[in-house]
Amino acid sequence: MASIAGVYTALSGLNAHRRVLDVTAHNVANQATPGFHRQRVDLKAGGLGAVAAVFAGSGQQVGGVVADSVTRIVDQLAEDRYIRESALQAGTQALSNDMNRIELSFAEPSDQGIASLLDGFWGGWTDLATMPGDLATRSQVLERAQTLVDGIRVAAADLQQVATTAQESLVGLAADANDLSSRIAQLNKAILGNPNAANDLIDQRGEALRELAQLTGAVARPSANGTIDVSIGGRTLVSGDIVQRLNGAGGVLTWANDASNVDAGPSRAASLKNTIEVVVPKYLTNLDTVAATLVTDVNALHNAGFAQDGVTTALDFFEPGPPVTAASLALSVDVVGQPENIAAAAAGGASFDGDLALSMAAVADSVTGADTEYRTLIGNLGVETREAFRRESIQENVTQSARATADSVGGVSVDEEMANLMSAQRAYEASARVLTTMDELLGVLMNTGRVGR
Amino acid sequence: MRVTNSMVVNSTLRDLNLSLSRLQDTQTDLTTGRKIRRGSDDPTGASAAMTIRNQLRRAEHEARSLDDAQAWLSSADTALVTGLEVLGAVKETAIRAGNTGSGNALSREALAKSVENMRSDLLTLANTKYLGRPIFNGTAAPNADGNAYDAAGVYGGNGAAVSREIAPNTTVAVNMTGEEIFGVQGAPFGNVFDVLEELASAIRANDTTRMATAQTELETATTRWSASTAEIGSRGARVEQTAFRAADTDLMLRETLSKLEDVDIAAALMSVKANENAYTAALTAAAKVIPPSLVDYLR
Repeated sequence: MASIAGVYTALSGLNAHRRVLDVTAHNVANQATPGFHRQRVDLKAGGLGAVAAVFAGSGQQVGGVVADSVTRIVDQLAEDRYIRESALQAGTQALSNDMNRIELSFAEPSDQGIASLLDGFWGGWTDLATMPGDLATRSQVLERAQTLVDGIRVAAADLQQVATTAQESLVGLAADANDLSSRIAQLNKAILGNPNAANDLIDQRGEALRELAQLTGAVARPSANGTIDVSIGGRTLVSGDIVQRLNGAGGVLTWANDASNVDAGPSRAASLKNTIEVVVPKYLTNLDTVAATLVTDVNALHNAGFAQDGVTTALDFFEPGPPVTAASLALSVDVVGQPENIAAAAAGGASFDGDLALSMAAVADSVTGADTEYRTLIGNLGVETREAFRRESIQENVTQSARATADSVGGVSVDEEMANLMSAQRAYEASARVLTTMDELLGVLMNTGRVGR
Repeated sequence: MRVTNSMVVNSTLRDLNLSLSRLQDTQTDLTTGRKIRRGSDDPTGASAAMTIRNQLRRAEHEARSLDDAQAWLSSADTALVTGLEVLGAVKETAIRAGNTGSGNALSREALAKSVENMRSDLLTLANTKYLGRPIFNGTAAPNADGNAYDAAGVYGGNGAAVSREIAPNTTVAVNMTGEEIFGVQGAPFGNVFDVLEELASAIRANDTTRMATAQTELETATTRWSASTAEIGSRGARVEQTAFRAADTDLMLRETLSKLEDVDIAAALMSVKANENAYTAALTAAAKVIPPSLVDYLR
């Protein structure tokens, strides 16, 4: 009887180690799969009756090995941290991308930016002061002014474009987030239905959750039954297999069912919102101030001066608004196409007086003038962009270390798998050897009658 | 800490990436020749660079303004110096006329004619133009003939100064008005042209009293003329000084800008080399670290 049981003990060894080999193969195959965590077969010694053997029954018998569960090895704390840091990184990355675009749209310091256009504009007035009677000189003041106006308007449009791009990308972001949350819900359902073979599903769900967190800053809370509930800003997005939809149309991320705003945590969505609502409006306002200062300063002087005829006065140079913004900046109808209406003279009746043009050129040096405002804008932009770059690079390091920590527990080490492979192979061989031995033993037993004969 | 293959791959990739991006940075420094290409490269430096660029462009316009100021002043100077010679000749003629006493009418007529000719020479000088604009006309538009003075010696200009900005917040008047140099018109002894007209008429009339008065007035006009010449000359010297200084300032600004923005080629080359070495080393290390695993040693 015992001998027969031994056959089954050996068989349990063969089965268990085949399983170990399978799982090892699975690990090796998935060593580069994103979100995959290595798995281990839990081997335990089978007690009495644990072996499905008909004849196992009496006395203290050994029962072979049991391999009925496969554990996914994971440090949940490290995983959660990795997800959180990934979300933060997505946020810092989006911000630094936007800052980069804003900075490039100003192209300073260079000989092509608004600063140089401003210099050219004031220089036009210096030239006009030299030759107030020359129509060509007057025309080039207008030309330079128009170039400056175009430059400022283009910069405003570029800035606005950054916000528009962010708004448009919210639409795609909402679609991705909806897709991911549906996937999480489906996986929740699958895991609930198949709790014992869910390791790979959990890995897939973890990866989907990490992507979702990067997009929206979503956080997960595990339930007792193995599913997870996902929420954004305290409001539930996925509960079991029930999903709330997000909507990214109209430049804001909203909940589809009641159109209230999504309160996204640090993430790509939060960063886009910041770009749309804070960063771009701030620099647009700054640029508006530059334009408004320019218009106020120039018009105030220009109104006091006299046109070439020495009589016409109180003319505007720029369209005075109200209110002047960078996007609406324009030359006044008083001077467009009428260079003779540019006021170069400070006194009436003196066609060759260039003193007002001289005073105008000196506005460039005003500490409260457009040039100073613009330089301040560029200075602030430089500091803020640098800060965004630095934060991104720091966050990248932090995320990398969080990933390494999580990976250190759950990642596949090929060396280790090879060692496992070797030991499982040897164990399999040994079990086979035991089976052969049992067979021989039984053979001896069966042939006993003949020996006595 | 347990080390897994993906950790090794990730960190190696990241290190390679960092190393490569540093190499790219220094290479861009070298190819563009500039270390501040945008505000965030160095906000403080960029801000200073913008201010200096602004001053440089400003200086360009001022340089044009300076050239113009020099041209105005030297035109005025030439005209006035020539005028002084003419005035000297007038004086000689006046003295000769006084000495001739009641000489014959023919010679008096010749002397009077010569005074009148010199008067019209002076009028031509008073109508000296620069770029088509009479320089002793103030800021007013020229008269119908495009001149400051008409044939009768009537001034058509005003008393305003023509200013040029020759340095930041520094302007200089590059003209003197007709009335400042030649005097205010009014018979019989207003401006220098009136004086000469009176002198010619006195010579013709052989009126020694009038001739003597005219000679005194001529003396006054000459003094005023030469004072103006000196004034114009000293302004010219001032503008010239400023031009020298502007050239110095320009050089200094360019040097500062270059220090701020431009790459130290030698240092950048060294840094490229160093980064290149680091990158090659990282690649070599990666090539050694990534492939081997127990797989290679199991037979």
